[in-house]
This record gives sequence, structure tokens and C-alpha cells, in this order.
Amino acid sequence: MSEQLNNQDFQEEPVAETGEETSSVERCLTFESGDLVLYISTNYVIEIINNHTITTLPLMPSYIKGIINLRGQILPVVDIQQLMGKCDPDGPEKTCIIVLDIDSVSLGIVVDSVRQVIDIDLKNVRPIPLKRQQKLLNGMVTMEDGSVFMSIDCQALATPQ
Amino acid sequence: MDNGMEGMLDTYLFETNSLLDRLDEMLVADEKDGDFSVDDINEIFRIMHTIKGSSAMMEFGSLAEISHHIEDLFFYIRDKGIDSLDPQHKKELFNLMFRSEDFLRGQVEKVEAGKALDTDLDSFSADINNFLKKISGAQVDEPAAQDAPPAPADSPAAAPAAGGENLPADKDAACFLHIFLEEGIGMENLRAFMIVNAVKECGIDFRYYPENMESNSETTATIIEEGFYMAFESEEEANKASGVLRTQGHIRSYELVANAEPEAPAPEPPKASAPEPPKAPAPAKPAPKPPAAQQKSAAQNAPVKQNLISVNLMKLDSLQNIVGEIVITESMVTSSPELNQLSRDGYDNFMKSARQLRKLTDDLQDIAMSLRMVPISGVFQKMSRIVRDMKQKLNKDVRLTLVGEETEVDKTIVDSIQDPIMHMVRNAMDHGIEDDVQERLDLGKDPQGEIILSATHTSNEVVITITDDGKGMNPDKLLAKAKEKGILTKPENEYTKKEALGLIMLPGFSTNQEVTEFSGRGVGMDVVKKNVEAVGGVVSLTSEEGHGTTFTMKIPLTMAIVDGMRVTVGRSIFTIPIANIRQSFKVLPDEIIRDENGNEMIERMDSFYPIIRLHQFYNIETDVVNIEDGIILWVETSEHSFCLFVDELVGEQQVVVKPFPSFLNFFELKNFGCGGCTILGDGNISIILEIQSLYAAALENS
Repeated sequence: MSEQLNNQDFQEEPVAETGEETSSVERCLTFESGDLVLYISTNYVIEIINNHTITTLPLMPSYIKGIINLRGQILPVVDIQQLMGKCDPDGPEKTCIIVLDIDSVSLGIVVDSVRQVIDIDLKNVRPIPLKRQQKLLNGMVTMEDGSVFMSIDCQALATPQ
Repeated sequence: MDNGMEGMLDTYLFETNSLLDRLDEMLVADEKDGDFSVDDINEIFRIMHTIKGSSAMMEFGSLAEISHHIEDLFFYIRDKGIDSLDPQHKKELFNLMFRSEDFLRGQVEKVEAGKALDTDLDSFSADINNFLKKISGAQVDEPAAQDAPPAPADSPAAAPAAGGENLPADKDAACFLHIFLEEGIGMENLRAFMIVNAVKECGIDFRYYPENMESNSETTATIIEEGFYMAFESEEEANKASGVLRTQGHIRSYELVANAEPEAPAPEPPKASAPEPPKAPAPAKPAPKPPAAQQKSAAQNAPVKQNLISVNLMKLDSLQNIVGEIVITESMVTSSPELNQLSRDGYDNFMKSARQLRKLTDDLQDIAMSLRMVPISGVFQKMSRIVRDMKQKLNKDVRLTLVGEETEVDKTIVDSIQDPIMHMVRNAMDHGIEDDVQERLDLGKDPQGEIILSATHTSNEVVITITDDGKGMNPDKLLAKAKEKGILTKPENEYTKKEALGLIMLPGFSTNQEVTEFSGRGVGMDVVKKNVEAVGGVVSLTSEEGHGTTFTMKIPLTMAIVDGMRVTVGRSIFTIPIANIRQSFKVLPDEIIRDENGNEMIERMDSFYPIIRLHQFYNIETDVVNIEDGIILWVETSEHSFCLFVDELVGEQQVVVKPFPSFLNFFELKNFGCGGCTILGDGNISIILEIQSLYAAALENS
């Protein structure tokens, strides 16, 4: 899986939206987790790593996968799927980690696979129209081809609860 | 405030604080002898002078003014000799100096906190001046120095460096700038000429002496000894020039001297002098000082500054981190499996270089560690001061004995144990030593109480003890008091003596009925305990009623590197500090004793110890579940002793302790016995167990 990923990592696919103001357009990294396609602003993304050994920590909630050693820096790793309350224990062991820096809190999130970097116009992002409080997602956007991407709430991610 | 100003403020605070520390040290030492030594008088004068200068530059008026008054006072004392003071005056002088020191410190703290400084200084400066009057009034042969120190009136004349008599003959000049170059810079005549040129380039019209300095190398000697002169038509031009001089290097000092011609205005006091960074252009606001003193102070301070530099602790931290990484990376490289593919010769060569690298990294690590080590004497000195003040206020005769002041401890640890030590010394003074001397005499003790503050090293800990020979503690009283406060956790009669004494470390326990200035706010010992535990240490105490109390703090020398034993449990690798390990052994199933809940225990040396199976406690999958397959580690802390069951011992290794990422603080890993983590040679992470909290998590709260 990782090889296939490497080929399409960061393929540019600018979304042509003529006539729009460019200031509200943000570059975002899209990735898959479970059956969702999520995106996060590239401002927060440091790097993407594969096949890194995760050291599990005892007696932690299941969404804390553990810690990794990234060139001497110790980073916590969060399983966002567990955090969203979905758990798929039979699924393959996920090894793709996106390293984020959210207001100088560094952490990694495990995802199924990384897709690409696209431009998303923040004006098109709408709130999720469900009453139930969303744990981790704070917006959705429809792309030209009709697919729907969800936005990750970085602040919620960086504050454990 | 821009960055440059911030940096200057940092430098100022650092400098002033270290000067005040030095002052404190001298005062305490001198008071013990009951006399000031001549060297110390000079030193105090210099300290006050420097504080005055730099405070004036930073525009901290109160600091500048008070230090100025003290400087005047010591100018007088230095002039007359300390022996001219009678013992009563000396005593008053000590008190005055301690008060001044406190005042200055208070002001510096206000500067640090960004608060406004005191403006009403009249009463305090009057105190200093009155004292000066008193001692100078007692001086029959010196009636002139009544109002003010002799400095302002006669300094221009008396100051040898004012150089009025040696001024070059230049009738047209209104004033001269007399410039001294730094010592030993070489080619002084050319450097002087460069300075002259720099001033000329700014369009200022002047003449200079010696006139032929650029071509005549014989002028070098004159310039070294007597400096050189620039002659100006007007004072305004001279001031402009002195602005240029400030930007020039190699100038030790310069001063403005009026031409001694009859038509020239009355001799002016030297203006800006000794513009050395950081006490650069000292404004002439405070009464002028004899430049001689200034130069002397500069000269004497110089060598000290060259030997010591102050470094931001953050930089040291990152240095230490990187050194830790290098050590780890080095073992990663040398234990790499790819090395096996080298030829025999190649491998030998590689190992030879690797050994050399190992030696160098070891040295590097030692040095990096030693950088952070500072002697504990700084903290101890402060205690002398506290004992001295309390002695007077409480009217108790106590001497403080310091042992092992030179013991070196990690800087962060020194900072965090200062408050605990201070608290315990205060407690010893306030509660420990008897109020009534007769009480001591009745018990056959020395009427003078004694507090011993000692620091010693063991292989990996520093042990600090605070012993007083006072009245000691009565366990029954402590128990009664604790009962009254409702903080007992088991029936009163089940408390051992040691446990009863330990009660004073509980929050909300204060044996003193009344709150005093020094102690007894009921937040005492539990804060001490918390502070010490925060740096990985433990506090214990012993007390014998009638004979005194001893507090013992054991603190790891450094928290950054731990000697650890690596053990495996399933696929996890844990590191257990060697200091906590007492023994490791294998056991057979029939040696295990179980209680009614199936908790396992084992008998060792006539005592029973609980066994924690790490794989059970941490829910780790492992094949080693039979007690005979794994290994038992007998671990202990100062308070508890118990056994851990692990799969296998891997080996011993020094590891660099890294804290968990701050993101995980929320989960309070420490409460589960995980003290930190470390990166192993192969890049994997090992969790460092904290035996103390592991015990609490696994056995006390279950």
C-alpha cells in the first residue's frame, strides 16, 4: 500500500475555480480513514511517514496508539478512527502516519492512506448538518466530481479529553 | 522594549543579582568575624559603584540612588580605614548594610516583575547619610566631611587621572578629551590615530596630542601611560566627539577635561568616564566619582569576566539533548547489523575507529553533564543570611554550620531545592531551637543552638541534611494534633513512631498554634515534600525528643541520565532505574504465597513482599505467565519495597530520560508508574518505570 501511496503523494491537482477570490483558498492534504475522506490544511502537516514502529503505552485509552521516535523527537500517535468512536479491530494494521504540528503541539495521526494535496475554497465548506455533536469533524465540502470531503477539527485533535 | 533593551535588562539583572549575592556572602562572613576586612570594604565599594552605574544607565532611580549613598559611605570608610569605627558603629553598619541589601534586592525583584520602583527614598537615604554623619562626626580630625562624603568637592583636584597638570599646551582649546586605550592591544599610536581619524571624519574640528603619533612610534609609550588628548575649541564639539568615541573599540576610558587656562570656565567635573559596556555612558546625575576608583574597579573586575560567561539554560538543555542523541546514534551505528558484511580487516578497522568515537562521545557527555553542575554553596549562603536575620528577630542564639558546600548539583535541582531548604531552616530556627536558653542548659546542652546544613554525594544521589539540636518532636503530640485536624487515616494506636513523624508532611498540618512571620502557615512541609519529589527526590526525618530533629533529602544528581536495567514484558521494553533495584532472582511456584484475593507475595529475608505482575497490571500480552518462566525483580524506594514480575532481563544501560510529549500530560502517565521514556540504541522507545508511583498505582489504590 505504501508504494502505491508514494507514487501519488502530493500530486498537485489545483481545483479550477475561476472568478473566486484566492484568499479563501487553502491547500489541504486529503486522506482516507475508514470510509471517510478527510482533509487537513497543509499548514499543520509536517510530513508523512510509513512503517514506523509505534511503542504502545500501557493503560491508555484505545485511541492513543502510542509514541514514536521521529529522529530523536518523541511524538504521540492518535488513531483518529478510534477517536471518532469507530473501531475496526479486524482491519489491517495501519502504518501510515501523518505528522502534524498544531499550534506547536506535535502529534501523529494514523490513517488508512494519504490521497493528495488539493486547494479547497473555504467558502464552500459547510457545517455538518447533524444535531449530534461532532467529535472531530467540523465541516464538509463537495468537490466538483461530487465526492464529499470532511474537515478535521485541529483544535479538538490537539486537546485531549 | 526592543530586543536590544531586553538583552541589556537581562544582563543588568544577572549582573546585579550576582553582585548582591557576592555582597551577601561577604557581609555574612564579615559579621561572623565582627569586622570588615580591607579587601571587602574595597569590594563593597566596587559593587555599589557598579550597581549605581548600571542602574543609572537603565534608569532605575531608586537603585542608583541608594547604591550611590552606600558608595559614598564606603568611600569614607575606605578612606579613613575601618579601624576608625568603634564596635558599636560596626554593628550598626552591618545592620544598615543588610537592610540596604534587602532594599536593593526588593527593587531588583520589582524590576524583574515589571513593577514601578519605590520613589520615596528619603527616609532610607537619610538613614544612610545619618550614619555617615555619625561616624564622620565621631572622627575629630575630619569635621569637613559632615554633610556629604568628600567625593564631590575635591574629586577633580584629587583624582590623579584628571591630569590637569599634564594638559598639552594649547591656548585656543576650551577643553580636552583625555583618552586611555585598553591595555596590551599593541601599536597604540596607530590605534589612537585611527580613533582620531574616525572623529575627524564626522566633521569635528580639533587638534590632537601627541601631534606626530602616526609617524613617531616612540609616542606609543606615552599613549600607554598617559593616554592621548584631543583639543576642542568648544565644549559642544567635544561632546559630539565623545559620541563618536563611544562607537570606537579599544578605548578603556575617556574623560572631558577643561583647559586649565585662566579664561577657561571653572574646572568642571569629569563627565562621561569609563564607557565600558555594559555600564556605558553613565550619566553625570549622581555626584561625580574619582575616575581612579572607576578605572580600578574596571581593571579588577576584568579577569573574572573573562573566566566565566553566563549561558542561557535553554542552550545548555538543547546541548545536552543533542549530546544524548549523539551517544545513542553512536551505538546505533556501531551495532548496525550491516557491519557483519564487512571483511575481517574492514571490520577491525571500523571497530578501531568506533572505539575512538566511543571515547570521544563519552568525554563529550561528561563535559555536557558537568556544564550544568553548580556548587550548592549559593543556596547554603542564603541560609546563613536567614539564620542571621531570624536570630535577631527571635532572639535565639544559634550558629549555622555548613558542611560540604562545594558539592555540585544540577542547576535545575539547585533551583528547586532552595525553597525547601529555606523552609526547613526556618522551621528549625522557629520551632526546633528552644525559645528559652534555660531549657537548653537544663538538658545539659550548649546554650548556643546549632543547625547543621550538610550536603554529600553518593554515587548517584546528593544527600542534604538539616539537623538542629533543639527540642525535637513528640510523636504523641503530632498524633493528637493530626487527630484534631482529622487527617489520620488509620486508628491512632497503629501509627509507628516513624509514621507519626511523617504526619507533619501532610497537607494542612502545622504544629504551631499561631502563624508567625517565618513559618506556620500550615502549607509548610507538604510543599517541601512536593518540591523535592518533583525533582525525583525523597524527604525523610528522624527526631529525638529533647535532642533535635534531622531532615534528610535524597535527590538524584541529575534527572537527565539514568542508569537503567532493561526488561521485557511481551513486546514492550521497560527501563527500571538501577538505583531502585535490590535483587533479581527466579522463583518456583511453591514459594509464592497468596492472600484471599489471590494477590501474590514472596518471603525474602524474613519479610513478605507483594509481587506485581507487570504484564497483568499493564495488560500486555506475553507468553511468560508462569512464575518460574520469568524473573522477579526486587525493587525498593525509600518508603516501599516490593517485587516485579517481568519476562526477561535484557541488560544494563545508561539512558537519557525524555519526558513524554506534553500532549499526553492529560493522561497523567506518572500515575501509572511511567516516569518518562528513552530512545534505545536501535531507535526503539523504552518506557522508564517510576517505582514509587508504580507502587502507589498497583498496590495502594487497588
